[in-house]
This record gives sequence, structure tokens and C-alpha cells, in this order.
Amino acid sequence: MLQFVLRRIAISLVVLLMGSALMFFATINAGDPLADLRESRAENREQLMQARIENMNLDLPWYQRYLTWLAGASKCLVLACDLGQASNGANINSMLVNAAGASLRLVSISVVLAIVIGIALGVLTAIRQYSGFDYTVTFAAFLFFSLPVFWAAVLLKDFGAIRFNNWIADPALSTTAMAVIALVFALLVASVLGGDIRRQAVTFLVTAAVVFGVVFAFDSVGWWRKPALGLPLIILGGLLALGFFLTMTVGLSQRKITIAGLVTVAVGIVAYFVTAPIMVDPANWWVILALIAVTVVVSGAIGWFLGGFERKTAAYVTIGTGLGFAFLVFMDRLLRNWGAFLEIKPRPISTIGSGIPEFEGTFWAEIFDWGVQLILPTIVLTVISIAGYSRYTRASMLETINQDYIRTARSKGLSDRVVYTKHALRNALIPITTIVAFDFAALLGGAVITESIFGWKGLGAMFRDGLNKVDPGPVMGYYLVAGGAAVLMNMLADIAYAFLDPRIRR
Amino acid sequence: MAVVAAGALVLAGCTSESETPDTGNAGTTDEGGSTDEATTSEDGGASEEPTSSAKADLGEVTTKDDTISFSTGAEEYNAYNGNTSSTNSTYNAVVNNQLFGGFWYWGTDGTVYPNEWFGSYEKTSEDPLTVEYTISDEAVWSDGTPVTSNDFLLEWASSNPEALGGAEALGFDPVSDTFGKYVPEAPETEPSSKTFTVVYPDPYPDWELVVSGALPSHVAADSAGMTGDELAQAILDGDGETVAKVSEFWNTGWLFPDYQVTDEALVPSSGPYTLQGSTWESGESLGLVPNDSFYGPKPATKNLVFKFAAPESHVQALQNGDINVIEPQATVDTVDQLKGMSDTVSIASGNEMTWEHLDYNFAEGSIFSEGEGGLAAREAFALCVPREQIVQNLIQPINPEAQVMNLREKFPFQDDYQEVLEAAYDGRYDQVDLEAAKAKFAEAGLEDGAEVRIGYSAPNQRRTDEIAAIKASCDEVGFNIVDGGDPKFFESGGSLETGDWEIALFAWAGSGQIASGQPIYETDGGQNFGGFSNEEVDAAWETLAKSNDPAVHLEQVKIIEKLLWDNLYGIPLFAHPGVVGYDNTLQNVRHNSTQTGVSWNAEQWVRAN
Repeated sequence: MLQFVLRRIAISLVVLLMGSALMFFATINAGDPLADLRESRAENREQLMQARIENMNLDLPWYQRYLTWLAGASKCLVLACDLGQASNGANINSMLVNAAGASLRLVSISVVLAIVIGIALGVLTAIRQYSGFDYTVTFAAFLFFSLPVFWAAVLLKDFGAIRFNNWIADPALSTTAMAVIALVFALLVASVLGGDIRRQAVTFLVTAAVVFGVVFAFDSVGWWRKPALGLPLIILGGLLALGFFLTMTVGLSQRKITIAGLVTVAVGIVAYFVTAPIMVDPANWWVILALIAVTVVVSGAIGWFLGGFERKTAAYVTIGTGLGFAFLVFMDRLLRNWGAFLEIKPRPISTIGSGIPEFEGTFWAEIFDWGVQLILPTIVLTVISIAGYSRYTRASMLETINQDYIRTARSKGLSDRVVYTKHALRNALIPITTIVAFDFAALLGGAVITESIFGWKGLGAMFRDGLNKVDPGPVMGYYLVAGGAAVLMNMLADIAYAFLDPRIRR
Repeated sequence: MAVVAAGALVLAGCTSESETPDTGNAGTTDEGGSTDEATTSEDGGASEEPTSSAKADLGEVTTKDDTISFSTGAEEYNAYNGNTSSTNSTYNAVVNNQLFGGFWYWGTDGTVYPNEWFGSYEKTSEDPLTVEYTISDEAVWSDGTPVTSNDFLLEWASSNPEALGGAEALGFDPVSDTFGKYVPEAPETEPSSKTFTVVYPDPYPDWELVVSGALPSHVAADSAGMTGDELAQAILDGDGETVAKVSEFWNTGWLFPDYQVTDEALVPSSGPYTLQGSTWESGESLGLVPNDSFYGPKPATKNLVFKFAAPESHVQALQNGDINVIEPQATVDTVDQLKGMSDTVSIASGNEMTWEHLDYNFAEGSIFSEGEGGLAAREAFALCVPREQIVQNLIQPINPEAQVMNLREKFPFQDDYQEVLEAAYDGRYDQVDLEAAKAKFAEAGLEDGAEVRIGYSAPNQRRTDEIAAIKASCDEVGFNIVDGGDPKFFESGGSLETGDWEIALFAWAGSGQIASGQPIYETDGGQNFGGFSNEEVDAAWETLAKSNDPAVHLEQVKIIEKLLWDNLYGIPLFAHPGVVGYDNTLQNVRHNSTQTGVSWNAEQWVRAN
């Protein structure tokens, strides 16, 4: 294995090196870096040209320029990068740090969301193949996949920012709107859960009634401006989490594990009251991380000691439940501070930028300031990647489901749940790893349009500006991050692949 | 139903009433209130619309604790010294305008107005032209150092005057060397004096524009281990070697290559606002804070934020309140969009000091040259260009007050336009007269289908539309109008240079200078692309440029304009329309025709209560 990894790393470095040379020569031959000055009427044209020639080493032959860059860039290996300067003398190191920071913030959440939602949709559509749900998701996937980003982003700004902000100032839903929301949800749930016509009809009616009730209740208590989950909803959510993890592992029949899970929820309720003083305004993220660690330890211990002979599985279930519960408690606190945030920023979602400059507020308000600005770009990026993921997962899952060993498993009398989660899903996920790796790298450098429309200065903008000015500095900085990420993620995928499938380890 | 009931139970504890004090309602009422007020102030604003093109006198201003944001585009501010050749740009100027006091500013119509709080100036002698500047006794930099003649001596030195050894010896990298060129000897003054005198040995009509604001010389001097007085003395003594020590700092020390203010002591302010390092969010926005030691009228709003947002995001950002003032590209689409938001957004439209025109090519081979069709051909073309229709269809939807422009050196919104117009032009090309045009066409001896290539820098939809209108009209006369749009029209080696055009369609950006038109119209002038040549015009420009007397300038402009009409140098069309969209709760936002743009009076912007 070690040999395999080392070989992969060596190959990756060679790929990066050759790529950098190609990129560099392509960039410096993309035009005339002095073009704008040649047309200039400035009296000190010569001086300007001289300054730019010095900044960009234009007086050196091409191979020396590349080697100069390479010498500086190779210092990255000892964590002392020197990426030189841009044509206007700006320091590329600091440009790159700023740009990469903005890009990472912008894409990381959307990558995670796209993976989770995309894979879930893919699995569900494969299981419910040729159902109304399948067709709807397929239609939506193709629609989203072919959306022009700039157009979608502009529409999203209009509805998600401008109109939402108008609405949130005095939020109220008409009965029609509530009914539409309830119907959409009900249709979705009914078609996902499936079953015969009668069962689907019941699911539809119940979901519609529940959703309508919830929305009506939210609306009448002014939830939109002063939201919270409240203990009852948190408990309900905790129980749902427990149910989910039980279904994914051993099913609801294991009484000991179920009891361990219920105890976890009970302890969670106690913890809810105990941690309340800390959670009003936590000092920083370390406090939250510490609380998460405590949650893991405590709920893991509950599972370990109450889980009976399957203590390891029990611990997984209780940890999952505990984290789910903790997440809901966190969200509850966050929601409770929404009203306070609205006081500071009456129009919460801006169409551009990443938040209020120099924002100072409570821990929660800062999350909002930082987070609401991510919502719109994240939606754009997520929606586009989801399309790909869901299609790939669906295809891969369908292929797995039709394998002989699945038929064997079914004929042994295993339930659908066990067949899908234990036998099909894991194998179906193997090809997805490759796509995920590629996609992350592609998103990092490919969010150019999204960045520019939402007023973020990320890697994409840096690349574009560099190319327009025929300036290899920023372009190569971009290449280092985007290319490095591509190679790195690809390598990780290869390693994970080899780990999952021993056949390719040679 | 049971499910709904159970749901209701679960939802019972789901609002956050307990934790957030019930100020949500107060917030709502607040907003409602401000909307009402906005409407009132809109009405009020309309009735007290300032009639002068100068800044309004706001009386005693108390700075309001509020934030107003503005954007010129995605380009980021990067230099405190916007006078170097590499940093002279709009996006630096909009910020720096708020950081430096100066002797004068451009009014909305391009009139030069004095800034009384900064100082005063006076012409003390006509020959040689001598101007005495007095800086206000109260004028200080935000670090406490008084603004003195030292700063203006450095301003003069930084234009590389020959008296100090010129560019070679000094090494400054200024965008303009006008000061050093027209004022060969250092301004007469003492170090740290509040007055200085500038002497122009040759007449210079645009003398008023030469001296305005200045950079802090004490900061530059400090970088070379001198005091401001030592540097000033070196400049007065003509000691170029000492002065050269600060040029490196002048060129690079006041730039922000990393897009952050590392040392606030290097960038003091003499204007209403000042830079603060912590308010610069690289890549996003730069906030200015009031200059506490400012000696002029206080800024109306505490925080002025410049956002670096791409122009295509401006309209929505304005609608959402993320940017409060925008100056988008003036197109019919943008104006319609802004009008659609009239409940929260007001529009201020006006003319820019940029004007569109059709210029004839006088070079050999062109049907308009003297050797071929000559004046008659030019007249035939001028008679068929539907100028009124072009303005009505393409410009008035953006600026309802737009009109056909009939002069070149004066704009329709300027005071003396009418006077010059009466002397120079009798209205003969106001209306399309196809019959007269046909007669002239025949007189010129042109053949039917004579090709007229109208060159312009493509793509430009408005110009394409203009040419379509011209073609519809002039083809009837016998011309064959060809759309000569070319992306490389202006580039070296492009069609303008190679002469592959009969008519050039483009715009000049007026600088507000008096003599800047000379290279456009004089024989062999650097910007006289068509090769027009007329001795009387040359002579009139010469007289104008050799005089400092506004009366002489006006007289010569009348002569020049008349000659340019009679000989048909070209046909002026219209002044470009400009549009400003702003949050309608704001007061004092006014369109400005000059290149300063709408932020010319940003320190007066304030949100109504």
C-alpha cells in the first residue's frame, strides 16, 4: 500500500510540473502584455513599460522566466512560497491567500451539500425507478444542469434576496401560498415513499395536512421573524435521527440498542438545560467543538454500556443520535438569534459581498452575517453539481441493484432495507468517489461567473484578470491551487479506490 | 386531524419570543416611517432642486451616524497617490477626492468653483500671468501638520520640471507634467508658508486647472530622512539631487499593492474623510471615516463605503440596498429597470461632457476630400443625417431633456452655449432636406451609390442604430452608407489609422479645458484624424491659446465654431446621456457631467430621517 501511495505521489508531482510548464507557456503566448501601453498616449510611456518589464521579467527569455517562477514556487515545498509579483507590482502570495480563502468559503459548503443531496436523490430515484418522483428528479436534473449560471444567479438575487428581504420586513403567507407549499411537500413525500395507490394517497393526505398545519402555525406565531425549534421539535428530531440510524444499521427490532438510543435522547434533554447558559453566547468555535466532543464521548459511552452484545453498533447509533440532537439544539439557538440579527440588518440577504465589513455582534449574529451571504451562491453552485451527482449515483446504483449478488441477497430473504443499505449502496458509491474528487477541484476554480455576479473576488477572478493582462503570475497562482487540488483530490480518490477495491492495487 | 393537533403541540414552544425582546415590531414601524418620510423628502427635494451647478450650501452640518455605499465598478482602490501614471484612474480618484482638499472643484456643468474652506487664489498680473494662492490658516493634515506651500512645492517638483533637472534626474513618474512645463521656475514662497505665487512666462488659458490639491510633502520628506521644510528649501534652491531622494517614495510608497493600509501615518487626509486600515475588506469594500481634524464643512454622513462590485450587479444591489448610489451605463434597458423600482429608487439623469460626432475624412481617396466631392459632398451628407430623429429615438428615452448638439467646444447645458450658437450656426442642418441634399450631391459631381464607410469602434449597439438611421435617410440622396464598425477601429494599425473610412463616428470626452481642442482642429494636429486643414481655424486657435482672457476665448470660439460649420469639419450629434440611480431616502445626490462623476459631492450625501 505504501509503495502504491508513494508512486501515486511521485506521478502527481510530475503531472503538476508538466502542467505548470504548459500553463505558463500558454499564458505568456496568449497576447502582448504591453498592448495597452503601446496604445497609450501617456508621456512617460517608456517608463511605464520599463516598470512592467521589470515586474514581469519580460527582458528574460521564456525559459528563464519559467525557471524563475518555478524556483519561487518550489519553495512552497518548504512552506515558503515566493510566487513573484503581478504586472502592477502586487504581491501574488497575498493575492492568492485572499482569493483562495474567498473561493474555499464559497464552494466548500456547496460541495458537501451537493454530495449529500445528490447521492441521496440518486439512490432514491434508483430505488423508485420509473416513478413520478424519478421522472421529476430526472427532469429537474437536466433543467439545472443546463441552467445558464448568470441568468439563474440574477433570478435568484431577485427572488432570494430582493423579494425575500421585502417579505421578511413584514412576513405573512396567504392561505393559497400555504396550500401550495403543503401540496408540493405532500407530492414529494408520497412519491418518494411509494407503495400502492392507497398507501400513496394516505401519505399524501397526511403530509399535506401536517405541512399545512406547521406552516399555518409558524405564520400565526410570527415564526419567520422570531423563529426557534423549541424542545418538543428538538425531541421529535432526536427521535427521527435515532430512527434513521437504526434503519441504516440494525433495524428497529434490536431492543437494547433502541433503549440505548432513547436514553441518549433523554440525556440530551438534560444537557439541553445544562448547557443553556453556555449556549446563550458562546465565546468562540472552540466551545462548540468541545461540546461536540463531550456529546460524542457521552453518547458513545451510553451505547457501549447499554448496547448489549452489539456494543460497537450501538455506539455508532447513539453517537449518531447524540450528534443529531446536538445539531438541533445548535440550530435552535441559532434560530432564536435571527430576530436580533434582523435588528442589525433589516434586509438580511445582500446581493453582493460576503457580509457587513467589520461586523461585531454575538457569536450567533456573526454566524448569520457570515452565513446568509453564502446562501445564494451556495444554492447556485449546489443546484448545478447536484444534477451530475444524482445522475451518476442513479446509474451506478441501478447497475448494482441488478447484479447477481443482490438477487442472491434478496432470495435469502433479506429485507429491502438491508439489501439497499448494506449490499447495494456501498458498492454503488465506489465510482462516485472519482467524480467527487474531480468536482471539488473543478468547483474551486470554476466558480468564475458565480464569484463575479455575487461580488466575491476568488480564484476565478484572479485567473481571468491574469489571462486578460497576459500576466502569468496570477494565472500560475491559480494553477497551483486549482491544479494542486485536482491532483491531490484525484490522488486521494485513487488511494480510497485502492482501499475499497483491492483488485486495482498493483 | 390528530396529526395536525400533535403537530401543534410539538410546535408550541417554537418561537424565540422569550429571548429576543419584542423589538421586531418597532423595527417594522420604523421602516414604515422612513418610507413615508422618503416620499415627503422626494417632493421637498424636487421643489428645492439646486439651480446652480455648484455644491449646495448645506449650512452647519452635523455628521449623521449612518452608512452610505457607492460603487464605480469591480476595480479596487490601490493608491493614495493617484497622480502617478500607473495609478491615475477613476476608481482611485473617487476615493482620493474625499481625502484631499483642493483650491477648486468641477460643478455639475463643468464650471470651475473655488473651495473657499481650503483657500483662495487670485490672478495678480496678466503679463506674465501670475497667480497668488493663499491656503486657509486652518487647513491641516489629519496628523496635525498644517497644509502649506511645502506640499505644493512637492506637487510642482513631482511634475519633473527642467529647473530641477527634469525627469532623468528626478525620477518622478507623474501622469501629467503640465505644472512643470508651463511653470518653469519654482513657485515663489518660503518653506511652510500659507501663500505661494505661480508665474507662467507664456500665456496658458487653462492655468486655473494647474493647481488644485497636493500630497503631504512632510510624509514624503520623512521617508528620505528630511523634514518638510528641508525638502521645500531644496526645491526652492533647485537642488534636484536632494529632491530626487523622495521620488522613489512618491512613485511607490503611497500605493497599496496588497490592498490594505499597513501604516495609517503615511496616508493623512486633508479632506472630509480619511482612510482607516481596518475598514478595508480586500476585494469587497473600502470604508472611509470622517477626518476628525477637518477644517471645512463636516461630511453629512459618517461612513462612506466604496464597494468593488461588477457593474452588472449594480442595479440589483441598488434595489436591495447593498449599494445606495450607482452610476450605471446609461442605456434604455438600465433606465427602464431603474424606473421599475421607483418605490425605492430615484433617478437623476443628465448629460455627460462626452459628445458624439461624425467626422469627415479629408484624405485623398475619400469622396469628401477637396480633390473629389469637396464641400458640396460634405453639405449633401450633412443635409441628410437625421440628427433630430437620432436624438429622439436613441437618447431621449434615457435623458428626456437631451437635444441635438450644434457646437463642438460648448455643451448645450453650459451658460454660453446659446451665445456662441447664435454667432456660429444658422440652423441650416437642423432638418433633413433630401431635395437640397440631392442638389448638393449632383453639384459635387458624385455618382449614385457613392460609398460612405462610417467607421466606429464595434460593438456598440447605439452607434449601429445611428448608422441604420443615417443609411435610411442618406441612401435616398445617392450615397451608399456602409456600416464600418470594427473592434480595432482605434487601435494602432486599425482602420482609423489606415484611413479606411469616409466618416468616423466616435465621441470626445470633454476635459473642461479651454484649449484642449486645438490638436483636434488645427492643421496636422495630433488628434485631427481626418486631416482637416484651414488657415483661419489655425489662426483662431493660436490666438485663443495665446491668451488668458475669457473674453478673447469666447470670441475665438465663436469664430472657430462658425468656420467649422462653414467648412464642415464634421457634424456634432449629441452629448452622451448619463444616469444616476440612488436610494430615494438619500438627499443631495446629483448627477455631474464631468469625469468626477456622481461622487463629486459624496460628502454631502445624507439619508433623510
